[in-house]
Parts: sequence; structure tokens; C-alpha cells
Amino acid sequence: MAKTFIFRNNTIEFLFGNNDIEYSGYGDISVVPRDADTYIWFYQVPVKENVEQLSTEVVALSDNFYLVLDRIPRGRRIIVFTLCTLHKLSYVGNDFRLDDVVEQFNMTIRETAAHNQNVKVVDFKEFLDSYPSSDWIDWKYFFISQQIVNPRLAVPFKLWFRRKLDELALKRRKCIVLDLDNTLWGGVLGEDGIDGVKIGGDYPGKAFLYFQEALAQLKRYGVILAVCSKNNEGDVLELWDKNPFMVLKKEDFAAWRINWDNKVDNIVALSEELNIGLDSMVFVDDNPAERELVKQSLHMVAVPDFPKQPYMLPVFFKYLLDHYFRVYSVTDEDCRKTEQYKANALRARAKMHFSDFTEYLRSLGMKLTIQQLNDFNLQRIAQMTQKTNQFNLTTRRYSDNDIRMMNDAGCDIWCLAVADKFGDNGVTGLIIVRNDNIDTFLLSCRILGRGIEYAFLKYMLLLLKARGMEKVYAQYVPTAKNHQVSDFYDRCGFTLTGESGGTKSYEISLKDVNLTIEEYYDIKIQ
Amino acid sequence: MKEKILEVVRLALETDDIDENTTQETCAAWDSLHHLGLAMNLEDAFGVTFEPEDIAEMKSVKDIERILAKKTSM
Repeated sequence: MAKTFIFRNNTIEFLFGNNDIEYSGYGDISVVPRDADTYIWFYQVPVKENVEQLSTEVVALSDNFYLVLDRIPRGRRIIVFTLCTLHKLSYVGNDFRLDDVVEQFNMTIRETAAHNQNVKVVDFKEFLDSYPSSDWIDWKYFFISQQIVNPRLAVPFKLWFRRKLDELALKRRKCIVLDLDNTLWGGVLGEDGIDGVKIGGDYPGKAFLYFQEALAQLKRYGVILAVCSKNNEGDVLELWDKNPFMVLKKEDFAAWRINWDNKVDNIVALSEELNIGLDSMVFVDDNPAERELVKQSLHMVAVPDFPKQPYMLPVFFKYLLDHYFRVYSVTDEDCRKTEQYKANALRARAKMHFSDFTEYLRSLGMKLTIQQLNDFNLQRIAQMTQKTNQFNLTTRRYSDNDIRMMNDAGCDIWCLAVADKFGDNGVTGLIIVRNDNIDTFLLSCRILGRGIEYAFLKYMLLLLKARGMEKVYAQYVPTAKNHQVSDFYDRCGFTLTGESGGTKSYEISLKDVNLTIEEYYDIKIQ
Repeated sequence: MKEKILEVVRLALETDDIDENTTQETCAAWDSLHHLGLAMNLEDAFGVTFEPEDIAEMKSVKDIERILAKKTSM
């Protein structure tokens, strides 16, 4: 069971609870238990009247933090809250000593986190800033029991911290589905014409311009943009082509459904075309009736309220970021998402032109590159174990550090990069072999439907065979989401040797099995 | 009012095992941490503000009734 240990200098049980959580003494760093999975550092600037003394204390706090960091077991995560001054006394306007040392502490931990994957910084100021500073401390409860944070903020704090943990786990919605009229621009295209809709220039066009530019940034961080609008597709394509003020153009959207069908069907179609679950989608529409319809029919889709006044779009966009799209860090892979999903949609259309599936595969010009673990793909490898649910045989989740330790322990860790004539999917597959056992085999959904899973596995088995290995073992561990691979090893010629609690065990003898790979997979090892 | 107090106490102490004779001594869930949460929830539920002395005095459901009666009659 996961256990968390919290270093603190105030009463904070009401913020984090008591389930599987242990607390240090106040300001105590003498005990660093070895059996916690996660450590949390949650210190605030103490309440003291002597600013000079306080500054010295804050400097010492920084030393204490690094002593703790040195002593927590290797590979464990520590979440560090930024240091905040909840009660600030300033006797002299030009005395910034305390602010300086607090800022210094926060800069140092951010720097540490940039170099140490196990250190994650959570900005407590972001939470406090949602409330007036007079609400931060309830002095009665402070003096009764040293609660530095107002106990009335406990409920919102818990919600906020849960979102922060999701960000750390890199969980977020993948795709934003946008309406057009009065959502991406002011006015109605069908009535106002391609030069008549309001974008840029004076208000309200200015507010819509802000929204489009913000969405363009969102796309840069790997969120997929799609359109679902009741319009004539031809009109919209013409507007994208000809209106010079549009920031978001045709090529920015991975897919669109612009027609007069109902939006529920269109969103389902988009989810199928992009191969993205409905629970990864956010639907944005100015029309409350459309929102209600989608909300009622597709519970998994997030449907935030759209502001009535365009001047509230900046607030709305910040809400989208805070609630659906922010993650702690993004990889290069994430940032190329729209291109990759667009290429997938093109592939789906190309497939319809071929009557023979093999002909289609041959036409793709697939290039598979297999890379051993290195410093550049490490983060992506860990991320894939965290995020891949469907094509994942064992669904074991590993951190960067777990991966590094497995490598040190002699495991074979290989990832797969895939490209074809429609685009580069980047690193999208992974196999981890521990001795003669396949610990992990997974592929991103984006590359499925091209037989790549068989080519990849066969190639890896060939490699192991070339090393003199005779038998390889593997397991399928069922989860709520990986049913599609429940018979993958059967399909690959493995023999089922046992089954218990849904987990299936397999083996394959490398001597007699046919490991021929179709010639249209161009496989290289790097 | 009595029923509402019991409701708040049950919620704050996270146990249904509460009646009008419950005291801090007889109730294991009523520890110091829950005590403060209870005070805060009572403040919110009845729209009153306790003094620290009130909070220290609240050692049973009966104490709560008495202190609240005093507060709400003021």
C-alpha cells in the first residue's frame, strides 16, 4: 500500500488527512523513514515578529531540505511545496531580506527539480492566490492548534492537490473539440460571410483573437484541436483559406466534423477517427443547448460552461488549462500530437482505397527503428508505462528511476520509433525483458492497425534467439482497459501454460517458431 | 436544534455512534484534530463564532448545546 511521509512545521493534518500518511514532528528532520513511496515537504515561513531572525531561519530551512533529500531512499519521489509567507510583516518599506531568502529557497528547489526527476515542485502560492490574503490564516485556529492554513480552506485545498497529483502523473485530457460561430469568432459565418465574422480588430473580435492565440499555444503543448460545428464545410474551408485574421487554420486541426448532423454523433465519430477515448475529450460550445445535449448523452466528455461575454474568454481559457490540460512536464512526443493524429486520419482515408490490406501496408513505407534505453528516450519510456492502457500486456507503471534501476539490474529495455509516408509517430512502443521473461510489452494506440505489434515482437524474439536464448516466457495481466490484447500472445504463437485470477502465463520455444517478418517493414536497430 | 447538533457532530467526527450523552471521553473518534474540525463545522452550521475558551469548554454534546444556546440567544 502506498504510504506518504510529510515533513512539516505546522499542523496540517486537516489538509492531507490521516489515511496512509505519516507526519514528521514540527520542524523535525531527524527521522526519515525508509518505507514511504512518496515524501512531501510542506513548510511555510513561520509566524515570527523578528524579521532578521526569520530570514536566518529560512536559510537554515533550505539546508534542512537538502539534508532530507540526501537521506530519502534512492528513486523515491519527493513533492516539494514552495515556501510562502502567509503572514508578512514589513517594518521598513525597503527591507526585502525575508522576501529574498524565500525566493532564493524557491528558486533553488526549482533548480534541483530540473535536474532530479524525483523532485517535483508544487507551487503553493498558486493555491493561496485564489483567496484574499486575509483569508489565508484563521488566527483563532492558529493560536489554538498552530494551523497555519485556514481550516476552511481544507476542502478546496484537497481538490486542488488532487489535480496537482494528476498533473504529476501526467494525466490530462488529450483533445479539445471546438464549435466555431461565437466560439472561435464572433458572429455567424452563414450570415456574416467570411469577411464579416469578428476576429481581431476591435472588441469583441479582439477577445476571440486572444482565445484563438491561446488555443494555438495549447496545441504547441500537445493538446489536439478538433472542430465540431453546424456549418457548411465549404464555407469554413474557404474562410480558413481566405480570412487573414484567423490564427487557427485548417492545418491546426487534427480532424473536424462540419455538417448539420447532431453533435453527439459527430463527437463520437471524431473520437473514432482520432482513436481517442471520449474521456479524453473536452467539448467547447457557446450554445447551452448543444452543451446540455452532449453532457446528457456523453457523460465522459467534459463540457465546461462557456462565458456569455466574450471579454471573459481569458478567464475561461485559464479554467480550461487548470482543470483539463496542464501536466507537470511534456515530452517532444506530446508536442507533435496534432501532426500524428492528423496523419492517422489520413491513413484511415487511404486505407479505404485499397481492397487488399497487404497492398495498403506495403504502400505505407513503414520504417521501424528500435533503440536501446538512453538518456534521451528515458523519460518517454517511463511515460509510456504510465500512460498506455489498451495495448499493454502487463500494465506495470514505472518511474524514470525504476527504469534506470531495471537497466542497472541487467534488464533489456528497448523502445520502438515508427514513421511512414504520412508522418513520424516517434517513440510509440516498448519491450522490457528481464532475463528470459517479457516484463512489459506495449504499443501506443496511435500506431495500431498496421501489424506493427507482430513485426516488433518477432524482431525482438529474433534478437533474443541470436543471443542463444531457447525459451521466452510472457504474461497477460488483465485490467479494465486491455481486453483487446487478451489473446495477443496466442496470436503470436505462444503456448498457454497456466491461468490464475485472469492472468495468463505463456512460453514460446524459439527453436521451432516461424519468425519471418514481412518485407514491407523496414526495421533498423539504433 | 438538538437533532441538527447531532448531525453536525456525526459528520465532523466521522461516526454515527453519537447521541446526546456522548462526551469527548467516551468517544474515541473525538480526538484533538477532530475537535477543531467540529468547532469549525458548528460555527458554519449555526452561523456563530466561538471564542477559544468556548472551544476548550466543549467536552460533550451537552456542552455544545449549552454553549450554542448562549451564543444564539445573544
